[in-house]
Formats: sequence, structure tokens, C-alpha cells
Amino acid sequence: MAIPNAISSSATRAKRPPPSLRVAGQLSCVLLGLAITACAVDWSGPEQQLARRIVAVTGSGRVTFTIENRSSLGERDSEVIQNGLRSALEGLGIRFVKTEQAAATVAIYLSENPATYVWVAEIRQPGAGEAAVVMVSVPRPEGSMTPHESVPLSLRKIPLWTQDDPILDVAVLEENATPTRIAVLDPEKISLYRWQGGKWQQEQTLGIVHTRPWPRDLRGRLIPAKDHLLDIYLPGLICRSAVGTPLTLNCRESDDPWPLVPAALSGGTFSAFPSAGSPSVAIPAVGGFYAPTRNFFSGALTPGVGKFRTVSKFYSAALLPREKYLMWLFASTDGRVHMIDGVNDQATKLDWGSDLTSVRTACGAGWQVLATSSGDGNEDSVRAYELPDRDPVAVSATVDFSGAVTALWTEGKGDTAIAVVRDRETGSYEAFRLAVACSQ
Amino acid sequence: MRLFDWRWLVVSSIVVGALAAKAETRPQYGGVLHVAMRAAPTSLDPADSTQLDSFARRSLTLLMFDTLVISGANGRIEPALATSWEASPGNQRWQFQIRRGVNFHDGTPLTAEIAAASLRAANPSWKMSAYADSLVIESNSSDPELLAELVLPRNAIVKRNPENTLSGTGPFHVVDWQPGKKLSLAAEENCWRGRPFLDTIEIEMGKSFRDQMTALELGKADLVEVAPEQTHRVSQEGRRLAGSTPIEMLALLFTRDAASPDEKLLREALALSVERGSIRNVLLQGAGQPAASILPNWMSGYGFVFPTDADLPRARHAREQVRNIPTWTVGYDGSDSMARLLTERIALNAKDAGLLLQPTSTATADLRLVRIPLASPDPWIALASVGALAGTPAGKEGGSVDELYTQEVAMLATQRMIPLFHLPASYAASATLKNWALQPDGNWTLADAWLEIGKP
Repeated sequence: MAIPNAISSSATRAKRPPPSLRVAGQLSCVLLGLAITACAVDWSGPEQQLARRIVAVTGSGRVTFTIENRSSLGERDSEVIQNGLRSALEGLGIRFVKTEQAAATVAIYLSENPATYVWVAEIRQPGAGEAAVVMVSVPRPEGSMTPHESVPLSLRKIPLWTQDDPILDVAVLEENATPTRIAVLDPEKISLYRWQGGKWQQEQTLGIVHTRPWPRDLRGRLIPAKDHLLDIYLPGLICRSAVGTPLTLNCRESDDPWPLVPAALSGGTFSAFPSAGSPSVAIPAVGGFYAPTRNFFSGALTPGVGKFRTVSKFYSAALLPREKYLMWLFASTDGRVHMIDGVNDQATKLDWGSDLTSVRTACGAGWQVLATSSGDGNEDSVRAYELPDRDPVAVSATVDFSGAVTALWTEGKGDTAIAVVRDRETGSYEAFRLAVACSQ
Repeated sequence: MRLFDWRWLVVSSIVVGALAAKAETRPQYGGVLHVAMRAAPTSLDPADSTQLDSFARRSLTLLMFDTLVISGANGRIEPALATSWEASPGNQRWQFQIRRGVNFHDGTPLTAEIAAASLRAANPSWKMSAYADSLVIESNSSDPELLAELVLPRNAIVKRNPENTLSGTGPFHVVDWQPGKKLSLAAEENCWRGRPFLDTIEIEMGKSFRDQMTALELGKADLVEVAPEQTHRVSQEGRRLAGSTPIEMLALLFTRDAASPDEKLLREALALSVERGSIRNVLLQGAGQPAASILPNWMSGYGFVFPTDADLPRARHAREQVRNIPTWTVGYDGSDSMARLLTERIALNAKDAGLLLQPTSTATADLRLVRIPLASPDPWIALASVGALAGTPAGKEGGSVDELYTQEVAMLATQRMIPLFHLPASYAASATLKNWALQPDGNWTLADAWLEIGKP
């Protein structure tokens, strides 16, 4: 959706339990549901079968082991299977070690075809030449097949946090398969939460002092840092966390540019099409100056994109490395998307909303643009696109939300994004992590 | 045989516009539907193996002819000309009950004998017998894939008349047939499934993708094929598009087996040199999936283990082991401009690896760039059909997924083919064409289609 002119306050907060309790409740429901699903299926037979086939190749000994879910199996099932396979392999004399100590590398893929699940193990042994491949097919549980579009990639939304106050951004500070520590930015404070005992526990809350009134449609960013916890970018204000604990914030009025390139990619070199072995391009740390009293970037860039030091005023930007250059997409305030390759500025009208960003993944062409839809704001969606030339091609189904997307930012590692949605019925804000999965 | 859930293969909605929308009015009878296609078959006989296979040809077949069984919306095998069937233990003997009261277009009643004769023409190795309304198919070994085979258009039931004409039981009968050019079909008033809504279907053959699109734009065609690389552009223009799952294999096919170890090394080098990712992004405009396997991943579940990345160092290493490098001619369909571009690009890739490829549109070549429509969403049948085409016959059909994998690996090891991409079958339709369906296997069906002619 287009960036709204104002954020109305939520009026229902007193009637609902505290946000953290609601999140815990939702998680409990989700976990209960998943547990029921997991309990209903016994994977031990195929786990044993695949383990025996693997050991027939590797023999008992030291291996390193990875598993990747390429199927419609849920995360919980995937974890159950991973644990089951580990146990089955250990039962057959396999010991799991680090890569440098391993006599074999076993990569397991949970895949599927229209009839069955297909679990594939690729086994690489030093000096053995080509990888050995073994597999088993696993009947699908009745009713487990769901219709889906035949799109090459899938875009998943993973709930992170919900609260009544507006969420400007969420940063995942620590994770172990799932996030274990997050920071939530709202207009007046930043809150840190840690996942403990099966629920989120608030660690600390720090107020954000600002002398100037916030613009309507406030936007802000949380950027995890290397030498300190994080930086906060708000219109006309930049805050930096202190190094030690307990955490403190040092805020100052500043019009310094907001980073437009995720921290993990900034200054690096990356292949435009990793799967094609194309040459790498360097990614400079481009920043954009944010208009301190508005809801958009002024268009001034540093250090610029090729010959362009200034572009049209824009709401959001996405980086898209090509084979020999970098292309930037800017969702301009004039409703068009400007594609700038450093030499040319091509403006086009797309069926996109005001928020777009890009992620670097191991799927498809290696980089995807995530863009909101141009709906009326009652409901919104995000979809992944690739741009083989200058025309975007949808590569995922749309991920629908029950309200308008109010923020869409790439996370620090560059491979996922955060989407914040304002629920049209409850008025509360929900933050999701968006991840692209290769679903061939 | 295994059952497939077609819901899993829902036709792509990336480019589907109004196709999925419910009709706003009840179906209307009447009208002439104009269809254009690239294929130019010179025979309508489904069992004529001399004709090039194509989705269009298969679709045409099912306008005129019926099969014993069909694949329903949920992938389950459903009755058609056979009302029921029974397999003996071991799946070596199958008995079908033939539907009563069905007539061919020439008025002849359908019998088990005619059905047996029809299937025998398409499958000379099958052992068949007919008893009253029963048709029995026997084989020396277990044939769990038989039902899936009987769904194939090439196994449609045809009454072959002495004067070399054909008669079917399908929803349309032939009015005019100019081989390779034009086919006119008319609604079969007494079709056993009921008269179709359309009065007539006019099919123009041998039309390039460009001519087809022009015909659609000028209102001279209602249903046309769309080249994979054009689907995005066409959808951007607001046209009604539908695309199947990737069901067609684009591959390099050698005309003979490798004659020496040196030639095997050169074929390996060629396979390693092709930059599928770049070709897909640039030439194919993001359409299809890079492939190094015969079966697409959605069909097998293991396609991803065949690496599709170019590996120029390995390609060069393989090539450097060979002293004399021949120049291979690589043929392509001269009427397909994309085929020429693809061939030239592959030749450039090969040159980077030190190989010499000479593109040619002539009929004779050392290898050819070919489009192979996979015969069926059933992986065993699809694999077997590709094997037959490539001269690498597959072994038995049916079995476990690792047996399927083993068989596919063995076929690829012959180095008769280099898979490149799996492409969807895509079509564009006029706004007035309603309720036509694109099947997961790439075929279209028009039996229930209708034209919005005006207010009733």
C-alpha cells in the first residue's frame, strides 16, 4: 500500500492482555498445533531406512551433517525428522563432527514430488569423485497436500512480535534456528526481549528523547552494529547504543544519511547470479538522506549511484546487483519506480506499493526484490520479484497480510526482511520476518 | 500405479488473469472458436509415431477422440470409455468394462474389439483380447503404470476405417482437414458426454509465435500459444495468459551414441560449459527452470541433485584431454527464432570451453536443440518417452523413487542428451473465450469452453 498520511492511535489496547502474553499465547497455540501434527506422523521408518542407506556408503565413522527442507513439510516436522535422522545415524555408528574432522559430508534434502515426500542424501567423501546420492520416498500423510502455485520460489512470513503501539522496525539480535533476542523500535522507545522459558521476557526498555515533534507517518530503522549493539535512525535523530551493559542510548539530532545497504553486504563483493558463476560486483555503502519532517528520503545519496548523486524523492530503495553493475530501484513519491544503473534513470509505473527492498538468497537469480502491492490499504501483500531485464517477473506467490504494510526493511544479514503490518481489525501492529525459500 | 494429486500442480497463477475467475453468466451455445498453433501435423491419427509430439497435437486429439480412462481434477484415474476396471494380483492382467451406448462419429457403436484394435495399433507389444463388453490387457511382467499410460492421448480410441479415415467418440468431429495447414471441427450433436457449447473450432497450423500473437491482437484467433520468453511481456500487456507447470524439456540431443572415449569427454565438456542461469535470465526472460535432469524437480523430487551451474574449469579440463577437436554441427528449428538465439549462445559457451559448435538450421546435424514435451506427469512414463525419443530406452516402469533416479542417471550416462531447461506450456486467450482449461500436463481442453457472443 501507499504510505499513509497518518497513523491513528489504537483504541482497543485496554481490552486485551499484555502483548507479550498474547505472543506467548499465540506461540503456545502454534506449538500445540504443530505438536499435534508432529505426533500424528511417525517418521521413524523412513528415517531408519535413509540412515541405513547413508551408512552403506559412508560406513560407520565421523561425518558432518546438514539438512535442508525443500518440501512443504513444516518447520516442526523438519526438526523432528532431523532429530530422528541424527538418532538413527548415531545408532548405526555415525559420529557427528566438524567439517575438518569428517570423513564424509552428508547433505540431506527433504524434497517431494506429487506422490510422495522424497528424502535425498548427497554424500561427499574426499577422493571419491562425484557425490553419492541415496534416497527414500515417504508416503504423504492423508490430506497433507495443499494446492500451491507453480512459482519457482516461496516467500514465507514468520511472526516475530505484536504490540498495540506502532512498530517502526524490529531487529533480530541473536538467534539459534529461531530468534532468541530481538529489539523492537516504536516512536518513543526501544525494547529488548529475550526468549526464555518458552516466552519472550523483556530485558530492557530505553526511552528515545527527541525535541522536535515526529512527522506524521513516522518511520525508523534499527541497524545492528558490529562494535556495539545497534544504531537507531529516526527522522532528524540518530541514536547509538553504548557498548557495555546495561544498555544506554546516546541520541543526537542529525540529518546524516540512513544506510540503504544491509550491513553484511555493505562494502562487499557479490556475484549477481551465483548459480551462473557470473563475475562479482562491489557493493558500496550507499546512504540516503531522510527528510526530517516528512516520510520519505530527500533523494540525496552518498556516495551516489554511478553519476547520480541525487534521485527523485523516494520512500524506499532496493539494491539489485547485475552481472557488471549495480542497479538500484527507488519507489519514488511520484508513484513510479526508478531503475538506476549508474548511467540511466528509467522510470516505470508498476503495480507496486511504496515499500520495496531486496534480499540476497541462494534461490533463483540470487537476488529478489520484495515489493508491497498497490492495494487500497485494507489488506496488503508482499511478493518476490526478479528482474531478468528491466521488467519484474513475479517469482513467488503473494504473502497476504490482514492490514497495511507500514514498514519493509532488509535485515542486517541481507537475506531476509522485516515487514510490519497494522492489523485492520484490531489496530495492533505485527512484525514478521520474510524469508525466500527455494521451492522449485 | 501411484496416484497423483493434481491439486499439487495448480496451473500457474503468476500470469493467469481472468482465467481463474468464475464465469459471470451461464454458458452460451454457439460460435466459432479460432485456434492457432505452431505444430503442423500431417496426420490426425493419435498412434502415428512419425508425427512430432506437441501439446497442441495432444490437445487436438482429445477434441476428436476419447481414452478409456482419464485423469480427474484430483489426479485420480476416472472412467471414460471404460466404466470400470480390475487388475489381477501382480498387475499383469487388467480387465476393462467398455461403456455401452457410445457411438463413433460415423455411427458405429463402440465395442471392445474396436478398442482393442485401436490400442494394438498404438502399442504393438501389448497382448489384448476382447470378450463381449470386456477388454483384457496382459503383459509378461507387472505393469503398475498401465492406467496412467491409457490416459495418454496417443492411446485414444480410434476407429480406423478402410478408406484411411478416422472416427472418434470425442466432442467434435472433423469437417475439413488440410494436413499441416488447417482443421475444421464441428460439435458432435450426439456426443456421449453431451454436445459441446461451441459450434465449430477452426485451427490454423504451422503459425509462428509472432503470427499467433498478431492473430490474437487482430481478433482473428481466440486461443494461441505463447513463447516462454514472451509470457511476461504479454501479461504486462494485460492479456489473459495461462501457463502450466514446467512440463517441456529443452535439451541438446545427439543423433548417435558417442563413438569413442574422446567424444564422451567432449560431450561432458559441452554439458559443463552451458551457462543455464544466464541464458534463463537473459534469453528466456526468467521463464522455465534450468535443468540438468530429464525429469523436472516437481515431478521427481530429486531434480536438484543434478547440478545446473556451468563449470568452465572442468569443461576445459575435459576438453584438454582430447587432441583433435571436431566441429560439431548443432541443428535448430529454423522457424523458431529463440531456438537460433539459444543455439548461438550455447555455441559461445562451448567456445569458451575450447569446443567448436556450428549452428545450422538444416535437417542434418551432429546434435540438435530440441523441445521435448514430457509425455505425462507420471515420472516413469515421462522418462520412458524421453528415452524412446533419445534412443536410450528405459527399463521397466514403476518402482521406488531411487529406482527412478537410478534409471534416469543411467539414461543421462549414455550422453545422448544434455538437458538444459524445463519450460511451461503457455497460452493466451481472447476475452470472449470462457471456461477453457489448461491441464497440468500442458494440454488444453475445449470441451466445456464457450464464447461470450453477446447477451442471451
